[in-house]
Parts: sequence; C-alpha cells; structure tokens
Amino acid sequence: MNKNEYIPFLSEIVEVIKHTEIEYTFRMAYDGEVKPGQFFEVSFPKYGEAPISVSGIENGCVDLTIRRVGKVTNEVFEKYVGDKLFLRGPYGNGFDVDDYKGKEIVVVAGGTGVSPVRGVVDYFAKNASSRKDMSFIAGFKSKEDILFEKDFEFWRESMNVVLTLDAGEETKEHKIGLVTKYIPQLKLKEVKEAVAIVVGPPAMMHFSVLALLELGLQEDNIWISQERKMCCGIGKCGHCKIGNQYVCLDGPVFRYTQGKHLVD
Amino acid sequence: MGYELSKEQMNEILSQLKEDYLIYAPKCFQDGGRFSDTDCIRYGEINKIEEIVFDKKAEYSFKEVLLPISQTLFYFTEDSVKEADAPKQGAIVFLRSCDLHSVKRLDEIYLRNGFSDYYYQRLRERVVFVLMGCQTAFDSCFCVDMGTNQSNEYDMSIDRSENGYQLDCKSNQLEKLLSQYATNNLSVTPAYVTETKTRVNIPSNLSYQIGNSNMWREYDTRCINCGRCNFVCPTCTCFTMQDIFYTDNEKAGERRRVWASCMVDGYTDVAGGASYRQKNGDRMRFKVLHKVLDYKERNGYHMCVGCGRCDDICPEYISFSHCINKLENGMKEVMEHE
Amino acid sequence: MDMNTKSLKKNAFRVTKERGITASRVRIPGGRMEAKYLSLIQEIADTYGNGTVHITVRQGFEILGIPFDKIDEVNKLLQPIIEGMGINQQNGGSGYSAAGTRNITACVGNTVCPYACYDTTAFAKKMEVAIFPNDLHFKVAFTGCSNDCGKVRMHDFGILGMTVPQFEADRCISCQACVKACAKKSVQALSFVNNRPQRDESKCIGCGECVLSCPNMAWTRSKKKYYRLTLLGRTGKKNPRLGEDFIKWADEESIIKIVKNTYDYVKEYIDVNAPGGKEHIGYIVDRTGFEEFKNWALKDVKLPEIAEVTHRIYWSGIIPK
Repeated sequence: MNKNEYIPFLSEIVEVIKHTEIEYTFRMAYDGEVKPGQFFEVSFPKYGEAPISVSGIENGCVDLTIRRVGKVTNEVFEKYVGDKLFLRGPYGNGFDVDDYKGKEIVVVAGGTGVSPVRGVVDYFAKNASSRKDMSFIAGFKSKEDILFEKDFEFWRESMNVVLTLDAGEETKEHKIGLVTKYIPQLKLKEVKEAVAIVVGPPAMMHFSVLALLELGLQEDNIWISQERKMCCGIGKCGHCKIGNQYVCLDGPVFRYTQGKHLVD
Repeated sequence: MGYELSKEQMNEILSQLKEDYLIYAPKCFQDGGRFSDTDCIRYGEINKIEEIVFDKKAEYSFKEVLLPISQTLFYFTEDSVKEADAPKQGAIVFLRSCDLHSVKRLDEIYLRNGFSDYYYQRLRERVVFVLMGCQTAFDSCFCVDMGTNQSNEYDMSIDRSENGYQLDCKSNQLEKLLSQYATNNLSVTPAYVTETKTRVNIPSNLSYQIGNSNMWREYDTRCINCGRCNFVCPTCTCFTMQDIFYTDNEKAGERRRVWASCMVDGYTDVAGGASYRQKNGDRMRFKVLHKVLDYKERNGYHMCVGCGRCDDICPEYISFSHCINKLENGMKEVMEHE
Repeated sequence: MDMNTKSLKKNAFRVTKERGITASRVRIPGGRMEAKYLSLIQEIADTYGNGTVHITVRQGFEILGIPFDKIDEVNKLLQPIIEGMGINQQNGGSGYSAAGTRNITACVGNTVCPYACYDTTAFAKKMEVAIFPNDLHFKVAFTGCSNDCGKVRMHDFGILGMTVPQFEADRCISCQACVKACAKKSVQALSFVNNRPQRDESKCIGCGECVLSCPNMAWTRSKKKYYRLTLLGRTGKKNPRLGEDFIKWADEESIIKIVKNTYDYVKEYIDVNAPGGKEHIGYIVDRTGFEEFKNWALKDVKLPEIAEVTHRIYWSGIIPK
C-alpha cells in the first residue's frame, strides 16, 4: 500500500515574522527536501486546508507567508512560537535554480506573488557569482503591504531592485506605478538569453509577460507561477486543473510556452 | 467459463458472497424519485438477484462505491490524527460496459496521475466487477462512438436468459463458487450493442481555441449550474476537502472529502475571493473539453464513456452529446476568425 | 309556465335571465376527465342548447341556452358523463342529485406537475364519493403543494400537499442548492451548519423545494404523504377572507373524516332561516365559536403523530365598505 498522502504531520512554529497587519511569515520546522515555489497544504483550525507557497528555506525550516483573508487563516494568527500546525507537502514542482544559473535574470512579482520567488531571489543574492546581472521588480499596493521589507535592503546590495507601490509618493526606497511601467526600462545585455520569472495576480502576469516579450525576451525563457484552488495537492481533486495541466502536479511553475495555452 | 443458472441458484450464490462482500447493483428505490410518486433507479445494496434493474439505466453511476460521496479521511484533535478505518468487507459491483470502461478512468486519476490515492486504492483492491450485458442501447447512450460498448475487463458477466441468467466467469474465486451450482458449461459472451440512436462526432481538429466560439454563450443562460451532470457521471472524479468540528468538542473533528462539481459555484474560489469561470457557459466548456479533449491529451484516450446519464438528468434539457456535435461548427467558426 | 326552481337548482340547472331558458351545470370532480366526454358535452350544447358552453370557475362546463322542456332529455344524455366521473346519484338518468356542495376542484397535481406532492384528482374523487350528493353549501379544493395554484385558501376546506423531506447526510455534497432554494423560493427553513443543511422543523412547510433542488438525491420525499388543511376561506359579500391553517401534516383519512364531521356540525347549527337553506360554514363557526366547531370536526379523528393542530384560529378578512 502506498503512503497515505492525506495524513498531515505536525510542525513547530520556530519564528513568527510580522510584515504587515495582515501578513505574517511563519517559520516552520521542516528538514525534508523543498524548493522555492513549491507549496504546503496547511491545516487551519476551524477552516480546513489552504495551499501556502514556500517563501524561504533555511536550515531545518521553511517559511510560509500567510495572508489573513477572511476567516480562512485568522486562526493561525493566534498561534505563536512553540505552537504547532498540521502540514502536508511540499507539493508542486517549484523553481529550479539550475534553470537560471549562469544567466541574466529578471524577476517580476506582485503582492503575495513575492512569496514564491523570494527563495529564488535570495539564493541568487547569496550566490551572485552563479549568475549574471539580476533585476527584481516587486510591486505592492501601498507601503503598508510590503512583504520582506528587510530582505529588500539585503537584495539591493547584489542586484537591481525596483520596489514599486501602486500609489503614493516616491521615496529613495520605493518607486510609484505598476510593475509593468518598469519592465521597459530594464537594461538587458543579452536579451535573447535572459531568463525571467513572473508571479502575481492574473492581469499583472499577463501584462508583465507581454512587456518582457516586447523587450525581446524569448517565450521559452519566461517562467510563471499559477495560483489556483489547490485542494488535495496531489492531482486528485481536480480543482486546479487548467486545460490538460494540474497546477498542483505540473506547476504551479510553468514555462510560459507551456502555460500560455492554458485557458481557464 | 460460461454457466447458466436459475434465479434460485443465483440467489444462493449471492447469499454466500454476502458473507465477504457488499453487493451493489442498480436497483429501484420505490417512491425515491425527485418527484412525488416516482421511483429512482440508482445503486444500492442488493440481497436478491431480482432486485437488479436490467431494463432501465441507473440515473446515478456505480462510482459512489469506489468514491464514496462523503468519505471521512481521518479524525483529529489539536495534536493528533487517526486514519479512518477501511470498510470491513469488499464489494461486488454489477455494472454495464460503459461503466466498466469508466473504472479505467477512475484508476487513471486515483492510482496514477502523480500520486496513488490511499483511500481509493484500499477500496479498489477489494472490488469485484460483474458486467451486465446490454441487449439494446437506451436512447441517450453513445457508447459505440466512444468505443466503450464492449468490455472484457470483468471478473464475471451476467445476462438474463429464458431460464435464468447466463454468466461468463473469469475469476478463479467466483469460478469455484459457480461450479458448485453449474448446470451447463456453455460458451457465453456478454451481450453488447453495436449501434446507438444517439451519435457523436468529436472533430479531429478540436483545440482549446474552441473556447473563443460563441457556442458556449447559449449555456450562460440555459445552464443553472446545479452540477447534476457531474454527479451522475461515472468519470467525474472531483472532490472538496472539508473539516468538521464536533459541536460538543470544538477542538476535535474529522476531515472528509465530498464530491465536487466544476459546474457548481465555489469550485474555483481561491483565498481572497477570486474565482475563475464565472459564466455557466465557460463551466460547460471546461467540462466538455475535459471529457473529449484535455484528458485525452494527458492520457491517450477520451474520458467520456458515452453513458448519456448527463443528458438524462439535466433539468434544463441540455444535452451533452448535442453539445459535442456542435464542436465541429464551433471549430469552423473560430478558424474563420483566425 | 310552471317550474319548481328549488328542484331545478337541486338538479344542477340554473335560473337564468331569460324566462324558460336554463343552463346545465356539468361538474368535473378533480378537474380531470377523459377527452371523449367533451364530444358528449358538445352534442348536448348543439342539440339542446344554444351551441355555447361556459367553462366555469369550479372546473365544470355550463351548457347554455337550454329550454326547460329539454331538461329530461339533457339529463339522459348527461348520464354517461355522470357515471364516467364516478358521481354518486340517486336515480340513474335523472341528472345530478344535488347541487349544494360544490364541485371539488384540483390543480393538475403530481401526475403532471413536478412540484405537486400528491395526485390531487385522485384525492378529490375520493372526497367526492365520501360527501356527495349533499345540499349543504360546502366548498372543498385540492392543490398539490404550498404554491396553492388551486387557490384552496378561498374554500371552506383547502388541502395543500406536503412532504417531509428526508435527509441522507452521506449523499450531501454541500452545494447549498437546497439552502438557496428554500431561502429564495420558500420559507428559509434550512441553514448551513458544519457543511450540511439543517432543517428547522417548525419552519418547514413541506413544499419539497429541497428535494427538487438537490442534485444528488440527498433529500428525498417521505414515503407517506402529508397535507395542510386550511379552514373556512370564502368569497362573498359580507366578509371575504382567506382560509387559515388548521392542521399541518395531516393525513388523507383524517381530512375526509373532518369534512364529513363538519356536515354533522352544520346540520346541527345551521340557521334554519338561511336563504335557500345555505349558509357559509364560516358564519356558523362565528356563531358557535371555533372551539365547538373543532370538537365536532375532530371527533374520532386519529391524526398522524407529527400533525400540528392550530387550537385557536382567528380569521381576518375584509369588511367591504
């Protein structure tokens, strides 16, 4: 008999990092193999499970950045260091950093879409020599919505970081406007070989990819991550299927050449 | 090996089998229909062979035996989890060729497609299939066009005959039992149909571009997104997870999975309130293409087995087979606009 | 010209504006008949009447323009219709034996309509046999469900079909179709608790919307059929009003018994000077008090366990000015 994938395991909350009033990162004990962009099914008391993407990988820990949306995740916000949560996973393919090594890299992310790419950005911040130039364009609604604010300081040291807000006043740290405004301004050396990752709300992804293609990037060099209702996480429940692809199995990370044909 | 058995002999065999198996077959739930003074033919446990309804199609398929409509996966407290027990008995399922073909589809999703499903597998391993021969097709059947009108993947087959029932047995275990009663050693081939009144044509150039056709807009208003078509379908496999908390102890509960439908509201809702495919026509397109396009791309054969139950059950008289037959014109329409 | 109008009316003929001309009132109990009787009605109208027929409010045909001297011949021709409708009769070939208790009407019922909870015509015919012929002014009507397409609340006795929805939790897929249907189309008796519908028995009116809306047969109908019995609705000059609920979840047998008991009650208490010997039951109840009526009506009635009887009824109604 195969393993019962539905039975969750208990994982201890090692640290809680508060980003905004409604967004926290829970650093959970986990020492198995895991890649950025993969996700865990997290059991939320009184609600059920929700897929949460891995926003960071440390020794013996994974970061799960959770946004308080309605009753879904409120209960978790009452949990603190030392408490435990039921998890299953990791599921999905995630980002494979080998795909980007030795290349010029562009990462475009919006809102909570920053979570799944954080691991990739962090890896290449720490291993700058394993890639060529790198740009990270991250967009949030407002100053209050910024995730991983401290990380941005660190990332700035090794790459071109554009942190932009939908509205407000421009400062040294933030620019104003949608991420798509800053894509055309990228100065890429070898645009045909450059690779890009785009994650965010559907409209943001759509227009960001168009802007990157306009810039001259190859479709095959663009990766996107799809957010869908991943319920079982293991290709059974059907909720996340788009076309002939199961986002939980075949994604959530897709090459654009593969993902662009997926019609909801 | 073929046998002919009387009704009495069949019932003796059934009563012996009942010691180890629950026996499921299409049967009549008297006054159990949706409307007053109507019956419902659907799957249920039977005790006697004459309870099996041969001359009508079950409104709902056998799939609830392998995929319980509501299935408890485990019980939990704040810090512990206890797996739900497997049923004590195996199951014998009487079903037609189209449904037997659908087992292959269920297996594809639940035994393969990434992971093997623990709960499905433990039921599946203990199921015996008895193929019910089809003398004639029902009006909405289109199994011949889907290539599911005949099946050899059975443990035993059953057809009604003048003197009782004719059986063809492929299972050694059942063979032992049958040989105690065997009156004849015959050559028995289960009946199957070779033509159906309803025909379907799946265009060879069908692609996702069909999504741009206007043909789906008709269903925006005609369809009421009730999901009946999914629930009766022997190949629909979707479910949703639910956590239930006991009212007398809010910290303990159970996680179960219940059937889900891609036609029903909420199917695509993601945290934060977004949802995809809000128009009923788009849901129809998603369902139809799963049955006759994308499943095949992934697995090499069509998902739909042509049982026609979705046609029979739709309260709005939306015919799935009729919709399939519109795909050819739909493709012409979108190719012209290329 | 000599004509006993009392006998004429009792025989289901009408006194019309035109002297010497009457109209024959053909009743169709439960509103359903074999189509072949239409040609008989046509034959009477063409041969003895003026070739026209009025379709009545109470599901009958009034054959118009019949001269008094053709009544006997018309009655003979009516015989197959009277027999075909299963109507109790004192002397064959003499037409209808009484016209006080009005035709029992019914909506189309469950042989046709998906909403109906029972065969309205069949029940109407049973009632017909139990109470006809009778001179007392009773109006009984049957409707299949709580929609009351039969307008039964405008009758002395209104019977509305009900079903006790049966819930099989293991077939529920939590789609909430029943909860939505009950809220939008009925009385909001269903709430959604722990992913399943919860039925408030005190609110439920047994309309069956949950059964109809359930895509997976988690809700089904009760094997037994139940009825709501409404009382003493009426039209008329003095105080028209809608019938009020008397018994919720009543059974067939009790309803027939209650109507029969009411005949005894009316015989006891009717105003002997009532014009034409007819008085709306409601006015009699106004006189005796509801309690007295109830004692008579429920005599020897054995209601099902779940039946709910309204012990005090207050009618409102309209006082025309």
